Amino acid sequence: MSVLTGKELRIVGFLCNWCSYGGADTAGVARATQPTDLRIIRVPCSGRVNPLFPLKALLSGADGVLVSGCHPRDCHYSAGNFYARRRLELLKEFLPIVGIDPARFHYTWVSASEGPRWKQVVTAFTDRIHKLGPAPKFQDAVPSYDMPDLAPVAPLRNLSCGANPALEDLKKQLKEALSDDHLFCVVGWQKSFDGLHATPLHMRKPEDVDKLIWGPFNVHSTANMIPQLVNDAKAAAMVGVKRGDPIPPAKKIGVVVKGCDGKWLVELLQEKLIDRDAVEIFAMGCNGTVSYDRIIAKIGAGKRIDSVEGNGDTLRVVADGQEYSLSMKDVAQDKCRACTVPNAPVYDHFAGDPVKVSEDAKPEAAAILAYLDGLTLEQRMSFWRGAIERCIRCHACRNACPMCVCREYCVADSREPHWVTQEDTPVNKLFFQLIHALHLAGRCTGCGECNRACPMGVPVGALKLHAARIVRALFDGYQPGTKLEAVPPFLGYEVEEKNIPEHQIEGA
Amino acid sequence: MKIGVFICHCGSNIAGTVDCVKVAKNAEAFPDVAYSTDNMYMCSEPGQDHIVEMVKKHDLDGVVVASCSPRMHEPTFRRAVERAGLNKYMFEMANIREHVSWIGKDKDANTNKASELVRMAVEKLRRNAPLFSKKFETIKKVLVVGAGVAGIQAALDCADAGLQVVLVEREPAIGGKMAKLDKTFPTVDCSSCILGPKMVDVSQHPNITLYTLSEVEKVSGYVGNFSVNIKRRAPYVDFSKCTGCGACMEKCPAKKTPDRFNEFMGPTTAINIPFPQAIPKKATINPQYCRKLTEGKCGICAKICPTGAINYEMKDEVITEEVGAIVAATGYDLMDWKSNYGEYGGGRYPDVITSLQYERLLSAAGPTGGHILRPSDGREPKKVAFICCVGSRDRSIGRPYCSGFCCMYTAKQAVLTKDHIPDSQSYVFYMDIRAPGKLYDEFTRRAIEEYGTEYIRGRVSAIQPDGKGQYIVRAADTLLGKPVEVAVDLVVLAVGVEGAKGSGKLAETLHISYDNFGFFLESHIKLRPVETNTAGVFLAGSCQGAKDIPSSVAQGSGAAAKVIGLLSKPKLESDPQISNVNIKRCVGCGKCVDVCPFQAITKENIRGEIKAQVIEAVCQGCGLCAATCPQGAIQLSHFTDNQILAEVNALCQC
Repeated sequence: MSVLTGKELRIVGFLCNWCSYGGADTAGVARATQPTDLRIIRVPCSGRVNPLFPLKALLSGADGVLVSGCHPRDCHYSAGNFYARRRLELLKEFLPIVGIDPARFHYTWVSASEGPRWKQVVTAFTDRIHKLGPAPKFQDAVPSYDMPDLAPVAPLRNLSCGANPALEDLKKQLKEALSDDHLFCVVGWQKSFDGLHATPLHMRKPEDVDKLIWGPFNVHSTANMIPQLVNDAKAAAMVGVKRGDPIPPAKKIGVVVKGCDGKWLVELLQEKLIDRDAVEIFAMGCNGTVSYDRIIAKIGAGKRIDSVEGNGDTLRVVADGQEYSLSMKDVAQDKCRACTVPNAPVYDHFAGDPVKVSEDAKPEAAAILAYLDGLTLEQRMSFWRGAIERCIRCHACRNACPMCVCREYCVADSREPHWVTQEDTPVNKLFFQLIHALHLAGRCTGCGECNRACPMGVPVGALKLHAARIVRALFDGYQPGTKLEAVPPFLGYEVEEKNIPEHQIEGA
Repeated sequence: MKIGVFICHCGSNIAGTVDCVKVAKNAEAFPDVAYSTDNMYMCSEPGQDHIVEMVKKHDLDGVVVASCSPRMHEPTFRRAVERAGLNKYMFEMANIREHVSWIGKDKDANTNKASELVRMAVEKLRRNAPLFSKKFETIKKVLVVGAGVAGIQAALDCADAGLQVVLVEREPAIGGKMAKLDKTFPTVDCSSCILGPKMVDVSQHPNITLYTLSEVEKVSGYVGNFSVNIKRRAPYVDFSKCTGCGACMEKCPAKKTPDRFNEFMGPTTAINIPFPQAIPKKATINPQYCRKLTEGKCGICAKICPTGAINYEMKDEVITEEVGAIVAATGYDLMDWKSNYGEYGGGRYPDVITSLQYERLLSAAGPTGGHILRPSDGREPKKVAFICCVGSRDRSIGRPYCSGFCCMYTAKQAVLTKDHIPDSQSYVFYMDIRAPGKLYDEFTRRAIEEYGTEYIRGRVSAIQPDGKGQYIVRAADTLLGKPVEVAVDLVVLAVGVEGAKGSGKLAETLHISYDNFGFFLESHIKLRPVETNTAGVFLAGSCQGAKDIPSSVAQGSGAAAKVIGLLSKPKLESDPQISNVNIKRCVGCGKCVDVCPFQAITKENIRGEIKAQVIEAVCQGCGLCAATCPQGAIQLSHFTDNQILAEVNALCQC
């Protein structure tokens, strides 16, 4: 069976049992003639409608999706629709980035007594979908392989790769802290196989601190190791403890952080994935980090790095005997250019002076978003259709993400729930990326690790940047990771939402 | 899995516009469907028996019935499935009546849509699991909100059945609108004479706790175990000391206090007992007009009170009560006629009054001592016009409904007018006379035939003062087809009713639905008129829709019977459609704990790791947690991610 060709389009409705499903019943009892396109899925509450359900429907071939719940303040479960309103609004504004017309998704409120209103909503929404016509299918979109040459935006402050004089101060603090054995270990960075790369450094004894480096190569996050280390410390404390003995307190985990690592820590603390008491934070102002891709683009791939030296804005790299002089303005990561939080928002120890960013510094829209914004819906769908073809589903983007806290229980690897199948289809690949982006909405600190980790150069970070942009617009400039006591936007609600309009359908 | 599919014709309700035989045939091809058929009436006894037989004959594991709305017959079919020996949650319903056959006549499209809805139900059922209820204790106490005649009746019936009753009333005295009436139709017996004894019963019943000047502020919990916060405004009088002697009222100098009970037909004192038969017969102080409370000077009532009951320091208090069931009986208020009917003076003419105000003029306990006197000059009116449907059945102001009892009380007031002033003449302007109750039409005929009331069929277009103390009422007589003009001394408006002020807020507190006019929504307009969609919350009286006294009393008793039935069970069964945590997947982040509207999820330390845990009796099954958990560790039984995904896939991938 399929929709009646030429007569019907595929419209899926998610209706709460108490109000809107009742309203649809009331309309039926009143014999209120309606178009036949809509198929209704009954759910207990609009709050049950994970935005991924409408998204899944739209990606799977629905031409329109309608969600309807109780009117605000009238929820059978008191607040389900308030949460739904925020999440569904996010979805609505998120859709265009991948080329789905947001007009194909509508959410509204219809009470059980509002039979006539239900008829109006169904009729008007069906009319709208018929005017839009059958939805373009993602899998059938013409893939575009154009990857624009995106000029990096100007940094908001001076970035530098020179030695930080406060490093000695930091090392002194670390040695002092490590001398009395209250720390399980401290995570920082050390030099890796070449001077361009750093690897994690686990400092357990004061002498380990000498290996610590600080500078433009401290690219990867220290924060995403913390939850696991906290568990390790707990386990270590249990060694030798007999059944019934009191559980001894675990040692703390120390962590050296740049501003962005500090934001992740705030998020992890806010999401109660680590206890504030379990960590000791060593912070220092950050002057920016480099993008390997940009350095490789300058010096060429496959070179042996002989030496690296930074001085102010200039990075001197000797590779295969040849010397290159690079400017931080050219090779700094995008996130560092847009960074307004060079100092960790929360810390126990701070070495040196905080790095200053002018208060009215406003980051420009990321170049990739500016590019996508300039495309039509059809072009965007082609862009992603082409880009996602490269995805090999290695999940490096997820593994690098400091906020992907599900880890081994990621829905991408599960059949219970079975959101993503193992089929190697563009829709499946894209759907995983959209799940990742929506899971990160209101949580993503914009670190760009997903982009950095992707071996295939799929610009998956753009999806998260777009979601973050929506969150900022909807929730008064909310910036994840900057305030420990903030309520994340999708775990809260306002009875009157200032920035979320009541959406109307023309003719309803 | 073996699934049986049963397509209902519902007589011609479904079969008229859906090819049920074809739908049943299509269903045979759906995965796991072992048996498929159609039947004239699935909900009938033979229909249900057929399900039971086929489950046994074909060894079915689950049943899909495609018929009416699950809000109508899901419980019916679940019982049938249970009789067949299956778990009742191994059942799904496809709504092919309200959502298909009744909303369009295109048989092809309907048949196709019905088949798809059946397919969706089959796909969901394939992922259903047996669920089992738990039993829980209930509190044998009921909260009745509103102490008008419906609330009083519900409270007394529940109390007589042995339940504890908490009766909450917003006003200082109980009795509601009925206490304001002089006499009642169709018997013209004295309202306070029939209501008074019931009010006394309330005050004396050992099982009833009465809170006046009180409003329900917050309700939490669930059927059988609600926790209610009641805000009690300070009366500034110690009820344990006040004897109701009324000495304070005589001496109170704030004599221009508006008199709510008398519908503002005259002033009263800041400390007062609203009417002689008031229950509780205790004085209360209106803090907005009391000189001691507003200006800090006076204190006369405290000096005069023989028992020292006055206490100016009293504060509002919040009382918490635990109850098993709630009856809402908040009644009605008159709609705002003044801003909608400028042509009737919009409140500017003193002698254009509402029928409730007229009741107070008629009442011997009212501001005029039972003499009908015009508010403007205190003269006895000789000609009185009654205008029906002011704010009822008037689509031009968005009031499509009939207020139900206005025709009858208008007839009654015309009769009483003649009784009070034998040489008076009454005119009733009406649209239709609606007198369908027992002895009602007879009563109206009497008003016309024996009392000489002149009934004029037509809507009044304007009321204008003639400058000589009379009012010209202009209308078109639609029976004679010509304009009429009558000069009268007094005009009484039968103003349409709407849900009591604040009913929307109460509905939100109780988690029940209400309509645009403030009336609460019943579970089913015909078959479940006193139930709401929130288990344990019932309706009585005009809060559900305009009702006269006999209907309100009947519904009060009806609601009481439902409460008694509910709480007479030793234990209630919980709904197993609640959330469940997969402990392995849970990372203990507590996002579910943060969003749960019922505080039904806690964090537990399980072998050193923090995990979410659902309190089964508290979870209401909204599924907000399931939509919040990123790793899908918490799932709502019967509405799991996979079940909803199966429905989405069934619709989109075909």
